[in-house]
Amino acid sequence: MDFDWTTFTLEIINFLILIWILKRFLYQPVLNIIDKRRADIDQAMADARRIEAEAVSLKKQNEQYLVEWENQKEAAHAQLSAELAEIRKKKLAELNQKFDDESDRRRILEERRRIEYEKKIEEKAIAQGTKFVSKLLSRLATPELETHLFALLLEDLANIDEADKHVISEATADHATSILVQSAFPLTDTQKQTLSRVLCEQCQTELSIDFQCNETLLAGFQITVGPWVLHANLRDELKFFSQPLQHEK
Amino acid sequence: METTTAAFYIGPFGITSIVITTWGIMLGLGVFCWLATRNLSLEPGPMQTLLEGIVSASEAAIQSVLPEHARELLPFITTLWIYLVIANLTGLIPLLHSPTGNLSVTAGLALLVFLSVHWFGIYHNGIRHYLKHYLSPTPLLLPFHLISEATRTIALAVRLFGNIMSLELVALLVLIVAGLLVPIPLLMLHIVEALVQAYIFGMLALIYVAGAMQSQYSKKENNNE
Repeated sequence: MDFDWTTFTLEIINFLILIWILKRFLYQPVLNIIDKRRADIDQAMADARRIEAEAVSLKKQNEQYLVEWENQKEAAHAQLSAELAEIRKKKLAELNQKFDDESDRRRILEERRRIEYEKKIEEKAIAQGTKFVSKLLSRLATPELETHLFALLLEDLANIDEADKHVISEATADHATSILVQSAFPLTDTQKQTLSRVLCEQCQTELSIDFQCNETLLAGFQITVGPWVLHANLRDELKFFSQPLQHEK
Repeated sequence: METTTAAFYIGPFGITSIVITTWGIMLGLGVFCWLATRNLSLEPGPMQTLLEGIVSASEAAIQSVLPEHARELLPFITTLWIYLVIANLTGLIPLLHSPTGNLSVTAGLALLVFLSVHWFGIYHNGIRHYLKHYLSPTPLLLPFHLISEATRTIALAVRLFGNIMSLELVALLVLIVAGLLVPIPLLMLHIVEALVQAYIFGMLALIYVAGAMQSQYSKKENNNE
């Protein structure tokens, strides 16, 4: 356990030099690089915190935008619904109007068709009625009825009004006009003479009278003096009867 | 144990093999550190990671005792740890002896610790406040404080010297008595002991310095209150 003062002193000096060497070549470089890395890490952390804060801010902003967008969407949806309801209402009114117009048109058309149909039916009924009556009258048309109608003819000729008399006198003025007497049944001579005498009295002149038999008259007579015609037969009576009925429609 | 025999002389001063070994350690550490720290980068390689680990671990250990003065004490305490680990393990190399197995070396280191304790204490507290703590809590304790300062420094030197010297001596005796390979388990113990003693020496130095720096803190805090 020797103690050497030189070694003791040199050891102190050596250790102080070693401290300087290690401080110069080990501690300072390593601590500098550690500090630099820590500074970089702190900077990166600060940047990360800043970016995080920005991200949070952007997230909040985005959420706000989403809320605003949602509100705008709901408002637009409500407006669109209102507009659609208005358009629907308008279209429905137009459709109802068109439907009413079409219903009126169809109703008028149907009414017209019905009237035309009824008219046709009535015309047909009248025609059939006339046909039926004419057929019935043709069976009822007998010489006795003819005789009775002859009496009515004479009575009508006796009661001719002044206007007819004037027409007859104008027609027979030139003495060339002949009188045509058509009958459904052949007239007897007595009837012909009586009728000739009455006609001449009405015409106040002597005229030739042509007697013809026309079965289409059913019963009765038709006397033609120029433009003046006297219808005293069942055929023309039926015709006269059916014409007013048709005109009433 | 011929460690105190002068290998050569520089004037009247005899340079022992212990001093030469210390120079060798200094040279090796200096060259190694210079080479290792030439191209440090922010993305460290294995060697840079090792160096940063050593420095960071040392700084963390000092911070656990003195959080506010870790960077200030780091060169002294860390150099103690590094030098003592290497010096203690040098004895495992054939034909070399651990410098710490010499009382002159451990006494020199203990004296440096003793001086640094007062240096840091006075530097941070002022000489008046620093010296006042020898009189607290009562001036009657001054002799005990002085004895404590002396004995703990001597204990620091002798503890390290005794442990390392005894390890080398036991290994030598076993080698002489039992043969070539028998001391190997003892050499394993040497490694553990070298690490433990280096840690103890450095940690005690740190605690002594911290005690000196913080001796007036409680008093300052009381005065502030």
